[in-house]
Amino acid sequence: MRIAFFVMLLAGGIFYSYIAFVDLDFMTRTGRLGPGFFPRLIGATAIVMTLWALVDELRARNATDGALRQWADVAVLVALSLGYAVLLRLFGGFAATIVFLAVTLSVLNRGQYLKNGLIAVLVPVLLYLLLDRLLNANMPPALITLPL
Amino acid sequence: MDIFSDLVMGLTVAVSPINIVYLLIGAMVGMIVGVIPGFGPSAGLAILLPVTFGMDPIGAIMMLAAIYYGAMYGGTITSILLNTPGESATVASTFDGFPLAKNGRAGPALVMQAAASFVGGTVGVILITVLAPLFAQVSRSFGPPEYFLLALMGMLTLIVMIGAHWKLGVISALIGFALGTVGVDLETGQGRYTFGSAELIGGIYFIPIAIGLFGLGELFYAFYSGLHRTGTGTIVQYDKEERFWPTAQDWISTRMTMVRGSILGFVVGVIPGAGATIASLMAYSTERSLSKNRDNFGKGEMAGLVAPETANNAASSGAMIPLLTLGIPGSASTAVLLAAFLLWGLRPGPLFMEQNPELAWGLIASMYLGNMALLAISIFAIPLFVQIIKVPYRVLGPCIVVICALGTFSVHASFVETYLMFAAGIVGFFMRLYGFSPAALVLALVLGPLAEEALRQTLTISRGSFMIFVERTPSLWIIGITIALLLLLPMLGRVGNTSAGVAEKAGS
Repeated sequence: MRIAFFVMLLAGGIFYSYIAFVDLDFMTRTGRLGPGFFPRLIGATAIVMTLWALVDELRARNATDGALRQWADVAVLVALSLGYAVLLRLFGGFAATIVFLAVTLSVLNRGQYLKNGLIAVLVPVLLYLLLDRLLNANMPPALITLPL
Repeated sequence: MDIFSDLVMGLTVAVSPINIVYLLIGAMVGMIVGVIPGFGPSAGLAILLPVTFGMDPIGAIMMLAAIYYGAMYGGTITSILLNTPGESATVASTFDGFPLAKNGRAGPALVMQAAASFVGGTVGVILITVLAPLFAQVSRSFGPPEYFLLALMGMLTLIVMIGAHWKLGVISALIGFALGTVGVDLETGQGRYTFGSAELIGGIYFIPIAIGLFGLGELFYAFYSGLHRTGTGTIVQYDKEERFWPTAQDWISTRMTMVRGSILGFVVGVIPGAGATIASLMAYSTERSLSKNRDNFGKGEMAGLVAPETANNAASSGAMIPLLTLGIPGSASTAVLLAAFLLWGLRPGPLFMEQNPELAWGLIASMYLGNMALLAISIFAIPLFVQIIKVPYRVLGPCIVVICALGTFSVHASFVETYLMFAAGIVGFFMRLYGFSPAALVLALVLGPLAEEALRQTLTISRGSFMIFVERTPSLWIIGITIALLLLLPMLGRVGNTSAGVAEKAGS
């Protein structure tokens, strides 16, 4: 995973630099520094530094990734969070939050049905009151209306 | 006399009922943020920044600043009662704070840390009051070359402080700079990395990235570390009545420690990149070397708790100086504060105090009041914070995800920014896991556009010659100070690490 992350950063650096060198001008027509000056500097340095760090990583090879259980816990939370991002678009801020909290707490905080249920309802209500009513801020609108 | 009248004017602004309410909410929230292990002021500020949008700018900035310095107070409660620092700046407070609690002196330790934090914070604000106008005066002679060098100094000092993983710090900063180049180039009107998206024309917005990196990224990392499984651990019980208050000996023996810690902390706080963590470790180390009871350090010496506490609070005040007078944040937390100023259409810098006296002096005056409020809260609301510590991470985690998502959306009603926040959260987790620096990324994202604009203006003025940086006296001064800091800071970092090691050995 560690090496893969470095390789991904390197790929990003190369892509960034490619655009900087191909699409963005180094100088303007009036002879001033153009929009490509800073990106080229950043991109080239990023490639050199990432390669250097990657070589160090390949040489060391002693850093181990965590246990499967650690990864499983994070993966569950990340997956549920991404699911929440999708739900927000579909069902809006209020309904999506109730569903997300109910599902996530039932996975992470097993057996505490009453407490989980209360949190799943009270947190969205409080946030709705704070953001929508008190602060007049935006809550994500729903594409599909749920009967809530 | 001018300073005094400005301060009185600031007090009249700060002491409106609604601003006092915002200040108290900020102080309370800051303490809660500090109490939650794994969440520092950067995360608290980033997550709660959107909540302030419906407020009046002065009240909002006062509240955010209170969250920032309030976190320093809260972080120590867990250091003393749990041996778990609420955030990195309170690591040094565990060295003697927890042994004091184990020795049955948790009550006096909690009161003394509150008093030390108050002294450090208040001395810091007094020094801001006196020095901020002077700094603003000096920085009026600065032009684009100096602003570029200051931005560079902020980044370099932060990277140097990262230590062994400096290469990863540089890469983190470069990612931040790269993100900062997205959007329309203001000088030529040419789009950069927008890929035809209307959402990207204005650039990548700072808030979703900061909330993702510090909020979700830290949360995912806490789950990876197993914080949701281990629970809070055993909280040391404290005597709420008879032996709660410190003895006269505690006050007398630490009075000079408070003075030294405050001054040292403030000076370190002013240096970009150094911050409250280094300040607290340095203060601990200094106090240990000066003390007659140095063998007691790490075993429950009151001065060993008071020194880092005064220093980290004074440092958080010190960090406000470059932010207010130069517009250059020295840390991730002050970068988020800068973003808050910019959101309100305010541009901190040399003319900030002159052009916005009510806001600048209102903020400074509010810091005096905030420290007083925090002193009271941190002594009398300890039972409440103990209850908060007991809330398990597995319950807190999903609520934090919700606050991050709804908070991000509330800023611009943008789903793209909300998705960007989730993406930044995942990237932030891997960065944290593999030793990268989310703080360097955020700082570079804020400083990048400023640095690019300043560099291009500089080279336009000099017709492409880099010699301009050594031809101007202010530039030469900044280069000199940067070189001195680059040489000095690694030594300070080693002093901090050594003192941490010594205390751990003594404690074990």
